[in-house]
Amino acid sequence: MARLQSVPGVSALIACLALLLIWDALARAFAVSGLPPPWDALRQLPSLLSDPETLINILASLRRMAIGFFAALACAVPIGLMMGRSATVAALFNPLFMVIYPVPKAALMPLIMLWIGIGDMAKVLVIFLGVSLPVVYHAFQGARAVEEKMLWSAAAMGLSARARLLRVVLPAALPEIMVGARTGVVLALITMVTSEMIARQTGVGNIFFTALDMAQYDTVYAMIIVIGVLGFACDWGFEAVRRVAVAWAEPSHQIAVGSA
Amino acid sequence: MTAAGMIARGMSFRRNLSAVLVGALPILAVLALWYAVCALALAPASLLPSPNAVFGRLLTLLGDRTFLTNAGVTLFRLFAGFGIALVVGVGGGILAAGSRTVAALLRPVIRVLAPVPKIALYPAFVLTLGFDHSSKIALVVADALFPILLATYQGAAAVEPKLVWSARAAGASQTRCLFTIVLTAALPSILTGARIGLIISCIVVFLAEMITSTDGLGQLLVRAARNFQTVDMFEPIIAISLLGLLLNAAFNAVSARLLVGFAEQQ
Repeated sequence: MARLQSVPGVSALIACLALLLIWDALARAFAVSGLPPPWDALRQLPSLLSDPETLINILASLRRMAIGFFAALACAVPIGLMMGRSATVAALFNPLFMVIYPVPKAALMPLIMLWIGIGDMAKVLVIFLGVSLPVVYHAFQGARAVEEKMLWSAAAMGLSARARLLRVVLPAALPEIMVGARTGVVLALITMVTSEMIARQTGVGNIFFTALDMAQYDTVYAMIIVIGVLGFACDWGFEAVRRVAVAWAEPSHQIAVGSA
Repeated sequence: MTAAGMIARGMSFRRNLSAVLVGALPILAVLALWYAVCALALAPASLLPSPNAVFGRLLTLLGDRTFLTNAGVTLFRLFAGFGIALVVGVGGGILAAGSRTVAALLRPVIRVLAPVPKIALYPAFVLTLGFDHSSKIALVVADALFPILLATYQGAAAVEPKLVWSARAAGASQTRCLFTIVLTAALPSILTGARIGLIISCIVVFLAEMITSTDGLGQLLVRAARNFQTVDMFEPIIAISLLGLLLNAAFNAVSARLLVGFAEQQ
């Protein structure tokens, strides 16, 4: 058993299987059409995923998610780093972010749709907003924890303030930024699905809710599996990148958790 | 406390005051921009109503029974879900820290479920639990549970073993140790997780009400959007933001009370 557990992925597979069995038991216990057994949903997967329209929709969703995510990283990391190194900048932005934080970003969807239309821009903007805050927060924490002596040495060697931020603070804060980015990836996925649920037009969320309206429950559950696998895959892929990019840092045991 | 710490504490009041003033700047700037756009009529009022209209309406709504009832429904779902998540999360985390078997069972499940967007489960909850409170509460539980569970487990796993050994040597049973020593020592970490869970609950309950509901703040937003009442679209968003700030402040007050005697947290 211990040997089996040391093989990566095996415990996750067993967990998946256990979840499917629990689902099966619940389906039998409830015995309602709204909760089909998992095998019915799994049987829907091949036909769902071989339909080109579904694939186009999923890819369009992922493209929006990627644009929003990287745009958010590009803006949030510099802001977070500056907040971490300057008390004035931190004092400037902290209250604003505190006010924005508890607002569900996908709830801004109706307003943003009024202003810039229902197209891709609105969804990308919402994903951007959703990802930004955790990344800012983690970049802030990371930059704040940089050892002062390293900064003093860099200053003594004649590095300008901007060069210090780029060459000392950024690498030192990178592990913490990666934690934020990992939360951000999961958040981007959540915001993507939610925004498409609210503005139903294209994408994963749209297929999902159209199936719900048409009472195609097998498809609904198949989509739950697809979205779940996407979430797990994003997180796993990101962890792999992190392990390579900041191999020198302490491994983080944190499991990404987040919400829109 | 070191001398430097004492000096810092003496200076902190003035620094706090100036920090608050500096921090008000961006918020005031956003408001000023909003006023300017409306005053110069750069955007039609049907798309961007003036701040006066929005805040005036908020004041009337705060005395409005329907609005308050809806806010109350949202609050009830929030607290019910958060409460269940807190009990299950803290209990599960402590048990996982106390028993290797429980940890080995829970860890892969958490590893698989934590990164899954819980909102995707909402249709399943609606189909099985119905349109009423229970499906929304179930979603809040699913979302708030993991941060609390993980923070509890990590906090409990990091408890100084000597504390537990002493209690065991003094004759406390294993279970009693877990719930009196480990739970107390892991409190700072648990509270951090609970705070994240609380804000997440706030967000999730609103989203669930937006997707399918007949009442609650989220539903008010959707209804206003469908009727193109722009002013009314702002109110639920402002209300949930205020609610989040208030809950956060209340939580900070409670945790400051609970954490008396712990080394100061950053």
